[in-house]
Amino acid sequence: MDDVLARALRAGHGAGIRRVEVRVSAPSRYESLAVRNGEATSLTRREYSGIGVRALSRRGWGFATTASLAPASVRATARHAARLARSAGRSSREEIPLLEEKGPTRGRYRSTVRIDPFTVPVEEKIALLLETERALHVDPTVKNGHAALQTWVDDTWYADSDGASYRSTITHIGAGVDATAVGSGEVQRRSGPSSFGGDYRQAGWEFVKGLNLPEIAPTVAREALDLLSAPSAPTGRTTIVLGSEQLALQVHESVGHATELDRILGMEAGYAGTSFLRPEDRDSLVYGSPLMQVVADATEPGGLGTFGWDDEGVAARRTPLVRNGRLVGFLSSRETAARVGLNRAGGTSRGDSAARMPLIRMTNVDLLPGDHSFDELLEGVDNGVYFTTNRSWSIDDKRLNFQFGTEVGRRIRHGELAELVRNPIYSGMTPSFWSSMDAVGDRSTWHLWGIPNCGKGQPSQTARVGHGAPAARFRGVAVRGG
Amino acid sequence: MSTSAELLELSRRTLDALPTGWTGDVRVLAERWGTMRFAVGRLSQPHLEEGQYVSLRVVHDHQVGVAATSDLSRAGIRRLVRTAQGLARVAPPDEKFPEFAASTGRVRATAYSATTARLSPEAQARLAEAALSGARSVQPEGRIAGVVNVGSEVLALANTSGLERVAPRSAAQISVLVDRPDLEVPVSGWDEGAHWDADALDAARLGRAAAERVPRGRAESAPAGRYRVVLSGPAVSDLLGFFAHLGFNSRGAEEGWSCLKNRRGKRVAPTFVDLADDGTSPRSLPRSIDYEGTPKRPVRLLDHGTAGPPVSDRRSAARAGTAPTGHGTLPESPWGDWGATPGNLILAPGDASFDDLVRTVGDGVLVTRLHYVRVVHPARSIITGMTRDGTYRIRRGEIGPALRNFRFTESVLAALGSIEQVGRATRRYSDERGGSAVTTPALALGTFHFTSATVF
Repeated sequence: MDDVLARALRAGHGAGIRRVEVRVSAPSRYESLAVRNGEATSLTRREYSGIGVRALSRRGWGFATTASLAPASVRATARHAARLARSAGRSSREEIPLLEEKGPTRGRYRSTVRIDPFTVPVEEKIALLLETERALHVDPTVKNGHAALQTWVDDTWYADSDGASYRSTITHIGAGVDATAVGSGEVQRRSGPSSFGGDYRQAGWEFVKGLNLPEIAPTVAREALDLLSAPSAPTGRTTIVLGSEQLALQVHESVGHATELDRILGMEAGYAGTSFLRPEDRDSLVYGSPLMQVVADATEPGGLGTFGWDDEGVAARRTPLVRNGRLVGFLSSRETAARVGLNRAGGTSRGDSAARMPLIRMTNVDLLPGDHSFDELLEGVDNGVYFTTNRSWSIDDKRLNFQFGTEVGRRIRHGELAELVRNPIYSGMTPSFWSSMDAVGDRSTWHLWGIPNCGKGQPSQTARVGHGAPAARFRGVAVRGG
Repeated sequence: MSTSAELLELSRRTLDALPTGWTGDVRVLAERWGTMRFAVGRLSQPHLEEGQYVSLRVVHDHQVGVAATSDLSRAGIRRLVRTAQGLARVAPPDEKFPEFAASTGRVRATAYSATTARLSPEAQARLAEAALSGARSVQPEGRIAGVVNVGSEVLALANTSGLERVAPRSAAQISVLVDRPDLEVPVSGWDEGAHWDADALDAARLGRAAAERVPRGRAESAPAGRYRVVLSGPAVSDLLGFFAHLGFNSRGAEEGWSCLKNRRGKRVAPTFVDLADDGTSPRSLPRSIDYEGTPKRPVRLLDHGTAGPPVSDRRSAARAGTAPTGHGTLPESPWGDWGATPGNLILAPGDASFDDLVRTVGDGVLVTRLHYVRVVHPARSIITGMTRDGTYRIRRGEIGPALRNFRFTESVLAALGSIEQVGRATRRYSDERGGSAVTTPALALGTFHFTSATVF
């Protein structure tokens, strides 16, 4: 592979080019297995090899990619990247600033995997999914049972014109179930262990075995059934407790994306949007309650956002974003960090494959645990709603006005979980919502979730990111039933 | 990029590697796309992509396996076949898996622009620069962002039923945002367009139009509530896209979560509303066949306001006992599991000018564009999202001051049921590579539910 990298570096480093980065997928492998109502709906393997070259002229970036690793294609692709960088440079009068990166520039990163998922016989995986899916059919009202498993193994080589080079082999895996119950003019879907296809981790087959899917399936299905006849969630302002997986998504949407410096600087304005934050808000803006501690940690074992180096050759690191409720950091790249005067890059610049330009992406953006057990979170609530498992999520282009719905809610009465309620929705504004957080769950309520479908960029990219989150309590939140 | 003949030859070679007794279909895709992103007034992320891929679906004794690869070498193809076979051998049998598409003679030609397919990266970059210049000429103080997407895809498809087809398509899409983050209440303007021929898009004009739509005055606040609204084309495009998924997706119909369950054949919109899905029409971004080789067929989704059938791929059609409509997706796509969905929506124009729509609404809100729309309840067709890039008060039949943005939470069926007037000027909107498109005019609606207001 060294010759491919060297060929691209040489071809890309033409006149007027300051820097060249080369990534080679060789290969990226993906497997999707899914069964629905006893039938296979996906038995698929996909393999991709290709090269992506990013070049930087004095005033602009260029990126080109091809799925062919033939020498002529590699050279042509690198030259295209350089030409585009020069074209981009002509549209600007401003030099692109770039932070220098010091540290280990050569190395090897490999996921910790006990059982390589691609060595497990497909028969065994299908058998697990079929057994799980059968267990969802606890009643004829469950019209659809679905069990799915996804695996990614990305083998990537990186080299840049500053002499950095590394290879990384990253394995992500996840699985889950969902049941749809239809009856009495109502449709209710319940999934487990989370929505978006379940839970995911940087791990091997052992993670899927540990999810105990056949055991959780009947509970998931029964809740879908129970929701058919459950009352609608109440309407009004009340105290809510968010379960760990819903809080993970809340962190993702209202902290993770909001702290991306490319959004803050307007570089994503035309598509994903911007942010309510400004560069000068660092160390001054009150994001939320003093109980709020958020970090972006690319070194966290097992996270979907864990790696050795990002796609600019910056080593993985842990960056505090919110400390004691105050904004203290951003998710940044070498360029954006330089633009706002940070003294080091955040190491969060990633493409979803060698075929995509690196963008600022979340790593593992975690809300750190507090000191309340789950029971203690409930104890302080006379009348409220517990929300768990995301169903719908929407937030504006500045990451302020949000509305989330979950698959299930439970009334909280006199400090205890009470009856199910269906179609629960809560909404709010980011800083005031986080300021209403008056209790944070302890480590026993905390879980590291994997979110496999974070969209950003043009052409679109789908990042897999991690979020550790506890359960937490919020006061005076607008709630209603859908 | 390989020639069509070479792509077809590769698809034949892949099928030839199947052992006796196995059937299958193979897609060879050759793509070339440029994505010229601009932001903060400069070309920020120019991206050029070329690639060729093979996707193979094999069947044996009703067991189906799918594999895809970018390794087109002989060894790569042999490995692809072995992988697909290995998956099929352990698959639960699908007794209802249909026959592969047979050769049906001629299919309607698609609209295709070879010039667009060959447009050089530098020419694409110049389109982005034209959009920037156009916007800057109107709003020199504005912050300009957007994208130019141009490219093509050639699909060579063959199957063991003897079908061989080559289906090229080209697409160009441009969007421009001009915003003023420097103002006390930030405001923005937007325009976009899509076509299968890049020459038909005027990048500079789109840039100027986006800049002209930046509100001049200070955006005012308005309380949440139900309003009469004019939805501009981009907003209608989003609304119809969700209606297509919630109402006409094959899986939604099979599984019972379609919002049109028990409502097909019944009127769900006024009689002057006609919505079709037509992948053959040059008014959309057409292609002659789907990814299974089935010719694209127009489907009347709303015929004088009456709900029609869902669209289908071969599998869902076989289950429903109908003929496939040509909406098969790539079998290896993780999104394929969502079922067949309309991808070439065309809402028939009415006879109202944009001013007529505003007059019809009288007092209400003009919405340019929606953002981050998500399904709240599929069977009830309830969606939520935000307004963005130009929300205005309508007073006494005229466009008034800019408004701060709203969140809406609304039933798509309720919104469509309240259409009072349909605009006559239509425009084509698409995703970034023309995989799906909506051709639509603006609409006047009698009611639309804004559930919260914002501070911006």
